[in-house]
This record gives sequence, structure tokens and C-alpha cells, in this order.
Amino acid sequence: MLIRLENDRFDAVEDRFAPVGEDEALPETGAVILSLSRFQADGAALLAAGRDVGVRIAPADRVEELVCDLPRLALVALDFPKYRDGRAYSSAVLLRERFGFDGEVRAVGDVLIDQAWNMVRCGFDAFETTVGPNAWAAAARRYRHVYQASADDRPPAFVERRQAAARRLAPQDG
Amino acid sequence: MTASLKVLTANDLAGGQVVFRSGTGWSDRYADAWIFEDAAAADAALDAARAATLTLADPYLIDVAAVDGLPVPTSYRERIRALGPTIHPDMGPQAEGGALVRALQQAQGAARSSGRLGLIRRK
Amino acid sequence: MFQYDAIDRAMVADRNAEFRDQVGRRLTGELTEDQFKPLRLMNGLYLQLHSYMLRVAIPYGALTSAKMRALAHVARRWDKGYGHFTTRQNIQFHWIRLSDTPDVLDYLATAELHAIQTSGNCIRNTTSDPFAGAAAEEVDDPRVWSEVIRQWSTFHPEFTYLPRKFKIAVTASPQDRTAARAHDIGLVVRRNREGRLGFEVIVGGGMGRTPYIGATIREHLPAEHLLSYLTAILRVYNRFGRRDNLYKARIKILVASLGAAEFGRLVDEAWDGMDRPRADLPDVELARIRASFGLVDFRTLPPRSERFEAARADKAFARFARNNIVPHKIPGYGIVQVSLKGIGEVPGDCSADQMDALADLAERYGHGEIRVTHEQNLVLPHVALDDAPAVHEGLAAMGLATPNINLVSDMIACPGLDYCALANARAIPIAQAISETFADPDRAEAVGELKIKISGCINACGHHHVGHIGILGVDKKGEEFYQLTLGGSGAEDAAIGHVLGPALAADRVADAIDKLVDAYLAIRQPQERFLDTYRRTGVGPFKAAVYQDAHQA
Repeated sequence: MLIRLENDRFDAVEDRFAPVGEDEALPETGAVILSLSRFQADGAALLAAGRDVGVRIAPADRVEELVCDLPRLALVALDFPKYRDGRAYSSAVLLRERFGFDGEVRAVGDVLIDQAWNMVRCGFDAFETTVGPNAWAAAARRYRHVYQASADDRPPAFVERRQAAARRLAPQDG
Repeated sequence: MTASLKVLTANDLAGGQVVFRSGTGWSDRYADAWIFEDAAAADAALDAARAATLTLADPYLIDVAAVDGLPVPTSYRERIRALGPTIHPDMGPQAEGGALVRALQQAQGAARSSGRLGLIRRK
Repeated sequence: MFQYDAIDRAMVADRNAEFRDQVGRRLTGELTEDQFKPLRLMNGLYLQLHSYMLRVAIPYGALTSAKMRALAHVARRWDKGYGHFTTRQNIQFHWIRLSDTPDVLDYLATAELHAIQTSGNCIRNTTSDPFAGAAAEEVDDPRVWSEVIRQWSTFHPEFTYLPRKFKIAVTASPQDRTAARAHDIGLVVRRNREGRLGFEVIVGGGMGRTPYIGATIREHLPAEHLLSYLTAILRVYNRFGRRDNLYKARIKILVASLGAAEFGRLVDEAWDGMDRPRADLPDVELARIRASFGLVDFRTLPPRSERFEAARADKAFARFARNNIVPHKIPGYGIVQVSLKGIGEVPGDCSADQMDALADLAERYGHGEIRVTHEQNLVLPHVALDDAPAVHEGLAAMGLATPNINLVSDMIACPGLDYCALANARAIPIAQAISETFADPDRAEAVGELKIKISGCINACGHHHVGHIGILGVDKKGEEFYQLTLGGSGAEDAAIGHVLGPALAADRVADAIDKLVDAYLAIRQPQERFLDTYRRTGVGPFKAAVYQDAHQA
């Protein structure tokens, strides 16, 4: 199942992207997801043809290699071969914060519900998982507060405290 | 040549305590441990234990040898595991005392050494 | 003392609810053991030799009387009446049931305690100086920065699944009581020439299979950039630390393989690409944290206490004062060190009754504060010298007045094979045997400062690499043998010890230590500690003392 996060809602959606294996022929039409090396070989042609292209990043791949292409990419899929391989979290944060990518950042591979909150905070907005969207949403929202700023827009605790203090000090409307 | 004797052990999943495959099930007393003489039977029991993922954690087989007729784990690590912390004789299964506990406490390692610390500190 | 507010309490509550749910899913089989284990570890629960062990966090080693009483309650209700203080200022309970753990954590939360990130491949408890807020020579209170780091590192979404565990220590005094240079990141608080506060940033220290003293990658990081810079370091480590080999996965391996200069360059590159103002802590939050540590209501006292001086006529108190009490920055106060290394006792262990007694003493005489040291002792950081005799009496009644701080019998020992599934050999009986060899307090004082550290396996939780004498347990042909090292130090003169010679059988270790001490006493020059003499003479006289007429059986 593919879950997408949009406007603070988690929904199960159709996946319009077809993953293309390393030596597989490219489909004639439709959106595709290619490995980084395949993209580096065949990606330019597909983009020139106006196709929607996604790139699948393995943990050892460097997202920096996509920098020039990011504005034209529809999607970056970050792989978790084992859920405890945490490199994709840094890749997601870099995509969002450093490189300003605003396409889809999708978690694929060994995706456990217990990682929902990590992933959302690091800027993932799509999740390939066996978990249903309601359970995923509940897990993603489990922590009512956060201590640090991340790629999502949640205010860290010290901002919440300042906002609360400012509200207390604000003049009452007469 | 005698086949090596084995005992099957694990930790209880919910409680964490050391348990041994006994004749009828699982027991936290080493004295109840079933001695496997047949390697195939031991392996089959290990497979069954590995499948018991809701009740057991980390099952494995240990080697034991007869010492004065009592089955003693050959490894000092497994002897400590079957007894409890050596510095607290009142904690763990060793608190029960008895001939088998004493045999484990007094067992020596595989190599020769010129005397060694008793496995239990005597105050 | 830092107080949790509603936000901090909510964090712990939400974490506990998550873990309770995960335990439930494990017990029903929805989670496999492979899936559950990393989650269990991130809540401090290990499966050890005899049972589960729960490691409760004591952030930067700072306890209050209320927290100590809560720990005593856990020991009584869910464990076997005792706990063990560790080399990272935490406490371990060795007999906790998995099925009880959610209830234990809920109870701990009522005392603002938790077991968050005390294990697993994440950022662990940030440790600091047990004399913080009391030491005259500290540049700044390192607890302030430790608390800043605690918050930043707790549930950090990007760094929850690192290649391996990550340990940070903060020190702020010329004398380093934190082993900062043996940590993944060590931070030394300093002022630069212009008087501005900042940190020397040291990375890649560590114990274990391949010990390293850390390398300085930044001489002076301005204090206001602490969090953004730490984020940069962790990001480089998370991305490029090895994940193919468990024994090569710490940051020390990455720093060593790249070289400190290249590693520092990667960090700078990551740091430059970051939105620093967003990552760094605002001044107002820093001020809020800082204010909470400045609230001790010290009495105004003369520097000299007549009661204290009079009490020194008692030989036992005089010895205690000499070895265990250190001057305080406030006139008329002292820092009282409580040894958990009674002769023949288990190093670092503390009974529930002892914990309650300490809580009472701290409440009555110590401004309610207790600290844990990384050498498995405790500290009452703020005791009026007038009250020191009464404190000593209270400690003595509970077997907590052993006057051996920093002396030969004040050893670090990991739990070893008596408890730990990873160990190759036992450590505690070795410590007990050495302790009894040096039971005579006059002899122990004559020897002076001597830090012996004992690890039951190469994971080095006993910090043997940085012991003046280090002892490493090994399994040699099915017997417990012990390898000695000399010349290590975890202080500001950090160094890794050197192997003395072939490993010794268990029953020969205490005697070997005795011979090493005799060798030292025979050749030492005035003012030389054991470590100093070794550094002057090298290994020769010591090796001869232990091995000259020895033939291994």
C-alpha cells in the first residue's frame, strides 16, 4: 500500500509510478522510478520526453548527485533495506532542507510503523508499507511535542514555550 | 566414543529468566533439564524452541558432560548462567543449593591451571 | 536543578505509551524479536545472562533526593533490592521482567526519570562533571550544556538509527572528571582570548576493541553554535559511518580512516550547508535552562568550620575528610564523595536502603542533590563543612563511608560474566580480591592515587584502556584469564594503556597488583603517583615485578 501525506492528512493512494529494474526495458508511457545509476544513464531522455521520473536512492548513494536534476524530478524514493539502516533519514533531510526539493519523498523497503514519526519529521511524504493510513497517522502523531527543529514544520519545544509566554503577556483584547 | 550430551536452554520471553527444556516442557531449574544424547533429537528440539517466538527468547544448545554422575555444562559461562551471579549465592537458581548446584559451583575449566578462584566467593 | 515542565513530561509519557504498545505487539507476535530488539534497546532494556536488565538514565549524573527514592522503590518493588551505577552515570537494574517494564517506566516518569536512549544505536546519555556547580575552577556549569544536548538529542528523528551507539561528554574544568577524550564527542568548555564562551570539540575517542583518544577538530566553537555543529557531526557520521561490520561502526573508525583533518572538513561542509539559526538554540531558551541550575540557596558561612576542624580529631573522620572531601567554590562548603567501593563489596552496587539513606542525607545536609560519577561512585556536591561530621556518621551507618576515593581500592569494574551475556570473564570477583589485598587503609593511602579499571570483555565497559592499571578478562582455553595494561588515563592527560605481558590466571591477579604496587613504592620519587612513575620509568620495573619468576602453568 502507498500512503501519501498531504495537507496534514494520510491517505491510501494509487501508485502511478512503475519501478523499473536495472536491466528491464523502460515502459513506453507512464511514470517510472529508476535506480540512481539507471537514471544517470537513461534519465535525461525520459525527462526531455516530458515523462514523470522518480529516482530510487540506496543508502550508500549520495543525494548530492541528484542536485542538478531535482527541479525536474517528480519523486525521490529512499530505500530502507533494513529498517535500522538510518541513512535515508539524512538523505530526506538534505533533500528538503539543503536542496529545497518539493517533489515526493517516498520511503520504500523495510518500512515499519514504528518509524512513522521519524520519517514524517525528516520530510518523507509518501510511505510504501503494509500498515493502513489510520494506524500510520496515529503513529506519526504519537509525540505531542518535539525538542528540535527538523524538515517538517513542527515548532520545537523552545518555540512553543516562547509562543506560550508571548500569549500570556499579550494585552487582553478589550 | 560417546556422543556429546546436550541441554537446550533459552530465556523466558516475558520474564527474562533462564529456562531449560525439561522432560515435559520448560523449567527454570537446571536440575530438570532433559539431557539429549541424540544430536538429531537435540536439533529438532532446538528448531521447535526457535518457533516458540511468543514464549522463548534466544534458545540454544549447550554441551554438558557427566561429572560424578551429574550433568555439568562444560563451559564456565553456561555454569554461571545456570547458577546465577557468583558474587550473590542467594540470587538466582543457585539459591536452591543441593548436589547438582554444588557440582556446577565446583567444576573446573577445560584447561589445567595452578589453582583458581572458587567459582563462589566464600566470605 | 533542572525541572521538567509539561512538555518534558509529555515527551516521556508519549514514549512510554509507544513502548507499552511495542511490548504488547511483541508478546502477541505482531513484532518479531529481530524487529523488536532495536526498539527495546532504545528504551534501555537488555536481555542479559540471567534476566532482562533495565538501564535508567541519569542525565549528566544529576539526581535529587526524590529521584533517588524513586530508584530505591524500583529496586524493591521490581528488582532484588539493589541497583548498579555505571560508567556513564546511569543506573542498572539487573532483574527486571519485560512484562513489568511498561509499569516500571510509568512509575519512573512520576519522578521525572526514564530509560530513553540508554541503549541502541542512537545518542546516549550525555555525561558530565559530577562536581558541576560546586567546583571552583569550572569555566561554566557543564550541566547547562549537557541539558541543551539532552533535549536536542532526545528523539532526534534523523539520528535515531545510527551505525552504532553515540556518546557525548561535557567537561568545564581544567581537571577532567568525565573522560571526555575517550568519547565519540568530547566537549571542553573554555573561554577564548576575548573571553567568549565556547567549546573545544574532540571527536573519535572511544574504548572497545580499538581504543582511541579523540582528535580536536575545532579549537573553539562559539557556544551559540553548539547544536548546529553537533548536527553536522552526526549527519556526517550517520551518512558515512560503516554499517557493514559491527566492530568498525563507531565514529572513531571513521575519523581514523579519513584522518581528523578530512573528517573536520566534511563536518564544516555539512555545517556550512545548514540553516544554522534554525538549528541553534535561541538565547532565551539557553537562559531558561541556565537559570534552573543556579537556584541553590547556599548559606553564608565562614571559610573555616570549627565543628569540622574539631571532628578531625577522630581518626576515622580525619581519614574520610582527607580522601573523600574536596574544597567547594562556596566558602564553608565541601564536596563529599561517597564511595560505592566498600572493601570486598561489588563496585558500584547500592542497596535500596542505602539509596534511601543517601536521599535523606542529601535532603537534610546536601541541598537535595546527589551526583553519579563515571567511576561508579556518588557525590553529595553541596555539604556545609559544619554538617560534614553528621554526614559522615550517616554514611558510616550504612556502609557508605569507605575513605578510598581515587585510591587503589576505588576500582571501576563492569558487571562482567556474573551478569553480562557479552562477557568473556568475571570482573567483580577480581575487584573484590584486589580490594581485600589492599584492605589496610594506611597502605592504601600510602600508595596514593591509583585508578584500576576492570573489564570482563573487549567491549571495555569497565574502561580498562584508560586505567592506570587496566585489567581485561579473556577466555583462554575455557578458563578466565586477565590481561594487564599500564599507563592509561581518562583525565585531561588522556592516554591508552600498554599491555604488560601474558594474561594471568584469575587467582594470580590480586597478587600481581600487589607486586606492581610494591615495585612502584620502591622506585617512586616525591609527589609521583603510580601513573607518573610509570611514565618516567616505562614498563621495565613493572614487568619484572610481575613476570620475573613466573612461569605460567
